[in-house]
Amino acid sequence: MSKDKTFLALADFLIPAHGDMPAFGSVCSFADAEKALDFRVDLKEGFDRGLDGDPALSAEAHLERLNKEDGAAFSAVTTIAICTYYMNPRVRELLGYPGQESVQYDSKATQVYLTDGSLGHVLARGRKYRPTPGL
Amino acid sequence: MNVESLSERGARARRDEEVDVAIVGAGPSGSVAALHLARAGLSVVVLEQGEWPEYNDYTGARPEHELVSTKLWHPNPNVRDNPNDYPVDNSTTDINPLMFAGVGGSATLYGAQWMHFLPSDFRVRSLDGVAEDWPFSYEDLLPYQLEIEREVGVSGLAGDPAFPPRGPYPFPALPIGSVGLRGALGMERMGWHWWPGSNAIPSEKFGELNACVRRGTCLTGCPEGAKSTTDRSHWPLALKAGARLVTRARVKEVETNEQGLATGVVYVDANGRDRRQRAKVVILCANGVGTPRLLLMSGGAKNPDGLANSSGMVGKRLMMHPFASILASYEDPLDSWRGPFGQQVYSLEFYETDERRGFVRGSKWNCMPSGGPVGVSGAIGSKVYVAEEGRFQDFWGANLHENVARRFGHSLIWGIVGEDLPEESNQVVLSKDLVDSDGLPAPQIVYKVNENSNRLLQFNIDRCLESVHAAGAIETLVSTPVRESGWHLIGTTVMGADPKRSVVDQWGACHDVPNLYIMDASTFPTSGATNPTATIMAVALRNTRRMIAERRNQKVA
Repeated sequence: MSKDKTFLALADFLIPAHGDMPAFGSVCSFADAEKALDFRVDLKEGFDRGLDGDPALSAEAHLERLNKEDGAAFSAVTTIAICTYYMNPRVRELLGYPGQESVQYDSKATQVYLTDGSLGHVLARGRKYRPTPGL
Repeated sequence: MNVESLSERGARARRDEEVDVAIVGAGPSGSVAALHLARAGLSVVVLEQGEWPEYNDYTGARPEHELVSTKLWHPNPNVRDNPNDYPVDNSTTDINPLMFAGVGGSATLYGAQWMHFLPSDFRVRSLDGVAEDWPFSYEDLLPYQLEIEREVGVSGLAGDPAFPPRGPYPFPALPIGSVGLRGALGMERMGWHWWPGSNAIPSEKFGELNACVRRGTCLTGCPEGAKSTTDRSHWPLALKAGARLVTRARVKEVETNEQGLATGVVYVDANGRDRRQRAKVVILCANGVGTPRLLLMSGGAKNPDGLANSSGMVGKRLMMHPFASILASYEDPLDSWRGPFGQQVYSLEFYETDERRGFVRGSKWNCMPSGGPVGVSGAIGSKVYVAEEGRFQDFWGANLHENVARRFGHSLIWGIVGEDLPEESNQVVLSKDLVDSDGLPAPQIVYKVNENSNRLLQFNIDRCLESVHAAGAIETLVSTPVRESGWHLIGTTVMGADPKRSVVDQWGACHDVPNLYIMDASTFPTSGATNPTATIMAVALRNTRRMIAERRNQKVA
């Protein structure tokens, strides 16, 4: 089996369709995974190794073997699969994740804890610290 | 002309030039010393083994952030594998030390939680009968704390009853967001202390620092230039004042003369050549691992146990603040990828000693957002919530989707910082076989989490679970002690009045070498339980002011 087919089989086992969320292969390609791998060249060797194996093995058996015998390869394959998936714009849209966004705010706005009484309760419970002895 | 190009002008001293002060390390303490010494008219050269930060390399605003940051911006130098860092032998420690080499130091990867130590932290022997009192008090240090806050650009809300009264912070507190409000709700329902987070992140533009935009990636470098690190807060001013900064300069030895006085340092430059920087005074600001490492590498035949080590205390009493974390998920959306990351609220409810709990001293809690989907999945990355013996299938397949749906955007993390008591068996030594990229011996960490810390963490975890459940948590995940949590490196060249029991005096001067100073957290007699950067910088300022005032009395070679 070619590397791209092996990877997609593994990725679809790791990330299948579930509820509203699509399977890996429905939204991501092997080329997407290769682009992700370009950000982590340290994983390339393990990733390549992780896609070698007995084509007769099921995806689960392949991953089970990797997990037991070659942790670095298992980590490389799974890291690339999950990061590629959650970088995908459609997946982010379904999750409601805009990425690590910039949020504007008014630094001088009165915070709710100052008006709803909650911080007042903290103050009402009194001093917490132990003063310097002898002062 | 930008700051970096300004720094390149004549940074390296002329051959055989003797400067007034050579400083090792351009992190929080070294930067404070450099700025104030240069302003006082002293000639200053700072030697930094890392480089200037490249803000375009911070990936927080880009889709690949979670993929890249777990390697490039990992706080463990062994994972990061950057040749500017030195590796650390972690084979004999329960907790891995975390650090970063570069202008700005390890704060490049800190959460920017800005906390003073409390009055009791300076009087642990007097109040609790353990360890030693500091040579100075909370009140002695407070003026320096407040001055440093203005230099750093701290946001916060004054009036916390867990501290003595103080004046306002330079900037209003950052928004605490849905995460902070939910964390506070749990504390309110328990009737416990909480307070809006104080952070070294200005909420308004301040000098070279931009206003925080809640990007939430503080721990992996701030792409906004909003998190206060000294490459932006101090170095532009220090360079204008005449301080010189040499990057990619790894100091390998502090040199001394026949009288035992420091004469300068030898460093390996960017091209791998040994160079000598002569100086009347040397200041070490290389953190609680790097500073004792350098002393142990120095000394030569005259001092086979290391320089400034007649007490035998160099490298000993390492404290790293054993740390636990609780991830709590809720039904309601909390937008829990939004920053600030370090602390939206904090609690000092269990800071002070109550011996009925079965341990001494206490803890500080900080409430943080839980970040992006990869991190909360538990499938890769930090693995803090993944049992080693767990089946991989538990984190993949339908379980992956369900875990992410439950946690992503719906969870918060309480981080519990426990005070670490000093023990001489916890120490930094030189590795016998691991070396850095220049062939210098790597530090080896010998460290065990002690019984007091284990009890302390378990008590606080139990209380924290009560709090998050009181606020409606539907799932909780506990990690303790977190192995990748040694952000706070404290105690390895302890200060004190007795040269037989301490390495430096209360002003950071080495008892054995009076023109050799140490100004990082290595000198702290105890660790407190708050994030130490504020105290590190305040102590460095106090020491520097004293050095300037006494410069005519300074013994030099």
